[in-house]
Amino acid sequence: MSDQPITMKDLQTENPRWCPGCGDFGIIAGVKRFLVDEQLPPHETVNISGIGCSGRASFYFNTYGVHAIHGRAIPVALGVALARPELNLFIHSGDGDALSIGGNHLLHGINKNFNCVFVMYDNELYALTKNQTSPTTKKGHKTNTQPTGTYLDPIIPMAFALGIGASFAASTADWMPDHLTQTLKAAYAHKGFSFVHVTQRCPHFYPGNFDTKSAEWFSFLTHEKGVPADKRLKDKSEVIVHDPSDRDQAFKYAHSDRFYFGLFYRNPDKPRYDEILQAQLKNAKPQDRSTILDKFEI
Amino acid sequence: MSVEKISVARFELLMDAGFGAQKAGDILIKAFAHTGRYVYIEPMIPAEISPPPRTRPALSGVIIRVADFDLKNIGNDTDIILASQEIVLDRRLDDNEHNPNCRVLLDMGDKKANEESYENVCKRVTKLGLSIYPFEVAQEAKIIIKDLQGRGKNMYYLGMLSAIYNVPEETMIEEIKDAFGKKLSADVLEKNIEIFRYGHQHVSEGFQFSYEVPSSSNGTAKKILIDGNTALAMGIIDAGIKIFSGYPITPATSIMHNLAKILPSYGGLVHQAEDEISAIGTAIGAYYGGVPAITATSGPGLSLKQEFIGYATVAEIPLIVIDVQRSGPSTGMPTKTEQSDMPAVIFGSHGDHTKIVISVGNVVDCFYAPQLARYLTEKLRLPVFIMSDFQMANSYKILDKPKVNVMEKGEDIKDFILEHFWIDRLPDDIEMVRTEQSDPGTPGKMRRVTGLNTDNEGKVNYFAGTNQRSHAVRNEKVHHVQRALKQPELFGTVKEGDLLVVGWGPTRGPITEAVHSCQDQGLSVGGMCFRIVYPLPLMLKEIFSKFKKVVTVEMAYGDELKRTPLAMFLRSKTLVDINPMVSRATGRPISPMTIETNIKKTLKEMKS
Repeated sequence: MSDQPITMKDLQTENPRWCPGCGDFGIIAGVKRFLVDEQLPPHETVNISGIGCSGRASFYFNTYGVHAIHGRAIPVALGVALARPELNLFIHSGDGDALSIGGNHLLHGINKNFNCVFVMYDNELYALTKNQTSPTTKKGHKTNTQPTGTYLDPIIPMAFALGIGASFAASTADWMPDHLTQTLKAAYAHKGFSFVHVTQRCPHFYPGNFDTKSAEWFSFLTHEKGVPADKRLKDKSEVIVHDPSDRDQAFKYAHSDRFYFGLFYRNPDKPRYDEILQAQLKNAKPQDRSTILDKFEI
Repeated sequence: MSVEKISVARFELLMDAGFGAQKAGDILIKAFAHTGRYVYIEPMIPAEISPPPRTRPALSGVIIRVADFDLKNIGNDTDIILASQEIVLDRRLDDNEHNPNCRVLLDMGDKKANEESYENVCKRVTKLGLSIYPFEVAQEAKIIIKDLQGRGKNMYYLGMLSAIYNVPEETMIEEIKDAFGKKLSADVLEKNIEIFRYGHQHVSEGFQFSYEVPSSSNGTAKKILIDGNTALAMGIIDAGIKIFSGYPITPATSIMHNLAKILPSYGGLVHQAEDEISAIGTAIGAYYGGVPAITATSGPGLSLKQEFIGYATVAEIPLIVIDVQRSGPSTGMPTKTEQSDMPAVIFGSHGDHTKIVISVGNVVDCFYAPQLARYLTEKLRLPVFIMSDFQMANSYKILDKPKVNVMEKGEDIKDFILEHFWIDRLPDDIEMVRTEQSDPGTPGKMRRVTGLNTDNEGKVNYFAGTNQRSHAVRNEKVHHVQRALKQPELFGTVKEGDLLVVGWGPTRGPITEAVHSCQDQGLSVGGMCFRIVYPLPLMLKEIFSKFKKVVTVEMAYGDELKRTPLAMFLRSKTLVDINPMVSRATGRPISPMTIETNIKKTLKEMKS
């Protein structure tokens, strides 16, 4: 170990195998930039991911990492959180991974509120398995599994997170690096399950889904206790002051047809499952293991 | 009244669920234990919490076997059945676990309202050739029971049974006080004792028979009374495992109950997950983090966990899974026993996954298995299973107190535990697919783990050579264990001869007893039970070749066209024509008597 500052280069591994123009590049670059900004030691950081294009993310950080199974990065991350509470934990999960096969774990991860940054890569379809409808695909959009157009209205990830009672819920996008890093900074500073929704482009299967040239179709939610608007885009887009303790208003933004990026909600007082278990450990009266069978003596 | 001295006795108390049959049983076995007898107790637990009384599913009770020697199993021939009413008796007679001289004591209290039903059941008892002893709870006791809103009848029956088996009244009262002292008010406790006294008096003044099982003369070693799941829980603590991650499922759950109360005092955490898959995922995450972790489940949970089991194999993350088998598939009979998970445990999950499977055949195994599992999983970075079953989980037994080891690291495994499971210490350097295996937090050793195939540096690739190598390295880990396995010991004196009876796990007790009995009768019968069931030792074919015929005893279904799991597995390993001799999926343990009868039948068939 050297005392040199940690640089982006320290975090590089092999070249990612994503398609050219994939939003995933922007997301992992944002996370890396955050790690460098905060100078978090790579050996004290664990990136955990599920399966899908987003699932590969953990592999592209020169930190500790677990590329787990489909939908189930959260249970593995909880194991790391319980075993090693001092480590910095990032979970990477796609829309299918987080809200379809792993929906139960996301629900309980949010409720358990254990300390981690949960980054949801939402490109609104299954990409690695080649273009199927996901829980967030827009109604009517044609895919290989629903070729006449996706049948149902999408699940709104932000509304889901708020509905379960997320203690931290923020939204950003892969093409606004400054906002992404600022959002991660707020997410990391919050102790608990920090839900970060990232709107993500899939140029291969869903080209043009998000108009990255224009900033008129979304607004930034800002607040002195929130996330500042993106430096590059704030003048081109609407900027709204939103108090992140106002959950009702957060729901309204989440359910709106318009896109909002920023901190929707934060509740620093929500109980943390990991903290409760660690406290049990701390408060338990220590017993001598060598006498473990004595109470069964007859 | 004359007292007959007997070396071993087996009796049952049958009641409606929720009226304390098991509590009465617990008190009685403690009294036996404290007076120097060996006991084995099996509770009969209904699958539902409060099934309607006076119905067949309401049967709740205890089977107690008591002896002046160390018991290896629950046996199968009941001498005395005491039933609180006729329906639970009728239900239990279906199991056919009584001996021809069994005495049936039937409480006639419900007869008035159920004349016909009582008559039918009494006729059935007589037809079976058993003697029936109708009785009614004494009027004085009935008044107190009424006063206690119908509770306390179990104390009457406890009084009767303790009198039949000549346990001194005062010893019993001490045990009752010990059991209820802190839970009942002084007044209620006194009433329970009074009911007990009436029951005791009922027998000592009114019955013509009484038995005494002598105190054991042997052994100065300290004894403990413990059930299989509690022994597993204590073994987990002794093994230094720090995280238990589980999801409620019968009959595995009581391991979690035991640990939830005390694990934090031993530096560990109990995590109740949102589902079975999450439970194993969290155990994997914890072990990846460098902290020993374990999960426990039963049939349906085992099926759900399979993807993660395959993952742990490829990701080379240590993992310990306990499977407490029950009768299945699906929910099956959650409070009945079976040993048919073997194929799902050994061959479950997908692809060429590798693992090690330990089985437990008694309570001592339950206590030591977590230590062996920890040693193997940390050494090999492969999933290690511990297979138990419903009966093993819930049966209590008196045994010599096992040695507590206070394990700090997997490497600390004691030689006597390795010997107990018939395995040598593994070589120091065992090759992993990935060279670097440091725990997170170690500077400069950052690594990613994945279910994708990788080279030895941990880089993902799909090249033919690296994939082939990964398989070879994972399988070589299992081969290391196979080479370290010692020759299984055969029971008793017969090492070659006519018939070899083979089993694994919970059938060990009954097979041992049956084989010893046959050997005492001069029959050329050997017996053997595996302690590690995957992989199997290398010298099996050699052992099998010394017998004219090799058969299995399994609590799993089999018939002429379908082989039982162990028979199938052994055939494939040895090419010896092995068939199941006893293959039963009744939900009840297989008795020594059943095995002995079948041994004799098989020997006869071999001669003709």
